[in-house]
Amino acid sequence: MQTQHAEAPSGRTAPAVELRGLTKRYGSIVACDDVHLTVPQGEIHGLLGQNGAGKSTLVKMLLGLVSRDAGQILLGGRSVEIPDPLAAAELGIGMVHQHFSLVNELTVWENVTLGEPGRPDPARTKALVRSIGERYGLTVDPDVRVEELSTGERQRVEIIKCLRRDPNLLILDEPTSVLTLAESRELFSVLRRVVQDEGRTVILISHKLDEILDATDHVTIMRSGRVVAQRATCDTDERELAREMVGRELSKWVAASALGDLDRLVDPSHSTDAAMLDRTESIDEDRFPVRLRITDAYLSEEGRPQLQGLSLELRAGEITGLAGIEGNGQRALGDVLSSLIPLDSGTVEVDGVALPTGRPGVMHRAGIGVIPEDRHQSGCVLDMSVAENLVMSTVNSVATRGMVSRSRIRANAERLIEQFEISTPSPDTPMRQLSGGNQQKVVLARELSLDPKILVAAYPTRGLDVGAIEYMTQQLHAAANRGIAVLLISTELEEILTLSHHIAVIHRGAIVGRMRRVDVDAERLGMMMGGQAA
Amino acid sequence: MSDTATRPAPPAPPKSTGVAVTTAIWWRRALPMAALYAVSLGIALTLAALLVMMTGASPWSAVEALYEGSLASPAAIGLSLDKAAPLLIVALGTCIAARAGLFNIGQEGQLLIGAAVFTTIALFMPGPGPLVLIVALIGGALGGAFWAGIAAVLYFWRGIPVVITTLLLVYISAQVVFYSVSQSWWLQEHLPTGGVMAPQSDLLPEDRWLPHFGEYPGLNFASTIVIALVLTVIVTVMLRRSTWGFRLRMLGMNRSAARRAGVSALVFGGTALLLSGAFAGFAGAAMVGGGNHRMQPGISENSGWDGLLVALVARENPVLAVPVAIFFGMLRAGGGFLASTGVPRYIVDVVTAILVLAVVFPPAFRLYQRQIATRRQAKALAAATSGAAA
Repeated sequence: MQTQHAEAPSGRTAPAVELRGLTKRYGSIVACDDVHLTVPQGEIHGLLGQNGAGKSTLVKMLLGLVSRDAGQILLGGRSVEIPDPLAAAELGIGMVHQHFSLVNELTVWENVTLGEPGRPDPARTKALVRSIGERYGLTVDPDVRVEELSTGERQRVEIIKCLRRDPNLLILDEPTSVLTLAESRELFSVLRRVVQDEGRTVILISHKLDEILDATDHVTIMRSGRVVAQRATCDTDERELAREMVGRELSKWVAASALGDLDRLVDPSHSTDAAMLDRTESIDEDRFPVRLRITDAYLSEEGRPQLQGLSLELRAGEITGLAGIEGNGQRALGDVLSSLIPLDSGTVEVDGVALPTGRPGVMHRAGIGVIPEDRHQSGCVLDMSVAENLVMSTVNSVATRGMVSRSRIRANAERLIEQFEISTPSPDTPMRQLSGGNQQKVVLARELSLDPKILVAAYPTRGLDVGAIEYMTQQLHAAANRGIAVLLISTELEEILTLSHHIAVIHRGAIVGRMRRVDVDAERLGMMMGGQAA
Repeated sequence: MSDTATRPAPPAPPKSTGVAVTTAIWWRRALPMAALYAVSLGIALTLAALLVMMTGASPWSAVEALYEGSLASPAAIGLSLDKAAPLLIVALGTCIAARAGLFNIGQEGQLLIGAAVFTTIALFMPGPGPLVLIVALIGGALGGAFWAGIAAVLYFWRGIPVVITTLLLVYISAQVVFYSVSQSWWLQEHLPTGGVMAPQSDLLPEDRWLPHFGEYPGLNFASTIVIALVLTVIVTVMLRRSTWGFRLRMLGMNRSAARRAGVSALVFGGTALLLSGAFAGFAGAAMVGGGNHRMQPGISENSGWDGLLVALVARENPVLAVPVAIFFGMLRAGGGFLASTGVPRYIVDVVTAILVLAVVFPPAFRLYQRQIATRRQAKALAAATSGAAA
């Protein structure tokens, strides 16, 4: 039925969107190069590509956020001009952005009515929120404040904000990057309803291959600003998509992880990949010294227990994956290891020396490098330059008698930019202007350049594309090979299984189970993460 | 390893092709702004003129008086510099606190306490004049730092906002200072019996005054302005170049990242707040030592507030604070002269305030105008396109 729909386009009606030769240049960089794209009415169209492939620029032209250098946009067969976002809204184009634009202190209905002209009408808006909720299965209480909602529910609010304007074309940018698996499935069923029952059109931007395969009718793959392939989703597979997106074969190891191929990861006999076999060798427990030892850590924040007797050991040269559902104390653990908050009780030892928790810079000086969960919050300073961000914690090393040497900051930056392949116009560019993947590289480069004993990587690949994930994966692997004790905090099992020697499961602020990578049993792991005794 | 070519750098802003283009763009931006300043100042001057006329004086003679009081003679220029110096010192301290993300608005109180401490030491400490002077100046700075320190303690210990504590401490300081000059055991002046005791201190012995350059009819000014300019250089270099300034900036822009990197909000933020208090206290000390030579409750003439204003107008940039402080100093010097021509003092204050508003207004208006314009443009285009598409 879907396929029929997809294979019988535009016979009677003009396509919902048609782009003819759209081109956008930024200086010498061509962000979009002669892009042709046709999306028929009533389908979900996937737009796949790595960060910087031109997806965002393309969509920004559709939304009137960026003006095009050449080409034509046709909506329903008519050529249109879209000079700004308001015009896009008038033309029936709605977008759900990757990062939410909600006011946390306001209620759901207030957020929905925000930006509307005229006096807000609470009763009408609330009724509207409820009716849209019922129609699409986007139930959310209009009177609840947004800060009390889960991430999935917040996204529902964003979608409601969009749907209430009755758009013909709905664009979603990486909508699942913040969602759990169940929430993602729910989202896709909502999208299916929007498309099938009401004949709207959806463009789904993603770099996750499995969801493109699950949710879309057609897929367009972009690379370096060009459309490199267009496929009917039913005629393609993960391998082909990955190859087209990256432009070459990925290592099987990374590909399996990126594709979410859990079976292949769990059972190494399915693979002959050398890297994988290496990972599954049994490791002698006592071969490596313990670098970090956390004993009986307790921590409460605003009356809510975050850590409840957590004990954990990290050994040199090993990657320990901390598996668990988000919100079970991972953030608190990361914050403690960043010296952001003190423990209520318990100890943190590095090489057998107990450290005072919560005192600024102590963890860092003891040799704990951290790639934090939210790089914008504590990983970098967006308004300082790339070069400054790279020396942030070691500013004394580029200073003489208390005075910072600009040339040494620059030299350090140039060295790291080259070594870590950070793509930035110059070392003096503000951090804010870098792409997410490159910001993450800056954080990684800084932490690794300090030669840490321990590296804590919290969700290091979140929001990154396959190429950047592969890079990050290799870097973490290399760090462990150099003898660094690595703690990988992640909610994505594939990522943990790809990289870890050991897996510890966190639940309600405590480690509820440990196992060696070779002994992993996906079912048991899942039960432990869910808090079931296993 | 991923192919970097597939991930181009984020778009760099288009580089200017030549000097001519840049200059043209600069003019296109600068001209409306200049016009805006002209209009804004024009309106302010008209308003001021109307106000002055209401008091029965001629506006033109008022302008002449302003000019004569601030620029016309070397002595007037000296007076402008004297008035500008404490404002600049206060503003420098404000810049430091702002860099750490803390908004100290209690400079007026810190300045008064600094002045009182200075006077106390200068009057009571025995010893050679210059030594006493130096000790008293340092004491004044410490007094201001102590006053800001109360706010710092409340903030870091109990989380009470600095804006509130520093502001309220201004009122307490005014009471403390008034008390000090009305107690005979403390600062109140000692007169032969029978004299009317005003709430003010004795005149300082002359060897405890700040050095003064020049003689009256010619260019003459207290050394405060020299100290202020030296401090400007030091503060600028420290903020821009030192590791301390680097860390302070980090703290101001992202507390969590700073903390992770070992920058303690308590140590660095606290120091910044104490320093801003010390600068205000030092300004107060210099006002007694360099100008009044005795403590009076009204000695500050709102220098603390105006110094804060200087920092705001200069957008917390210590270098920009120099011209702004001098402009404010000129208004103060000219205003004093204007008052002596018979225009009531409060009118002078109102006129000064109008002129300050006129200077602050154009950038704000420009921003607002730009927002309105984009919004209107967007609406019009949206309407046009939807008409075409429908």
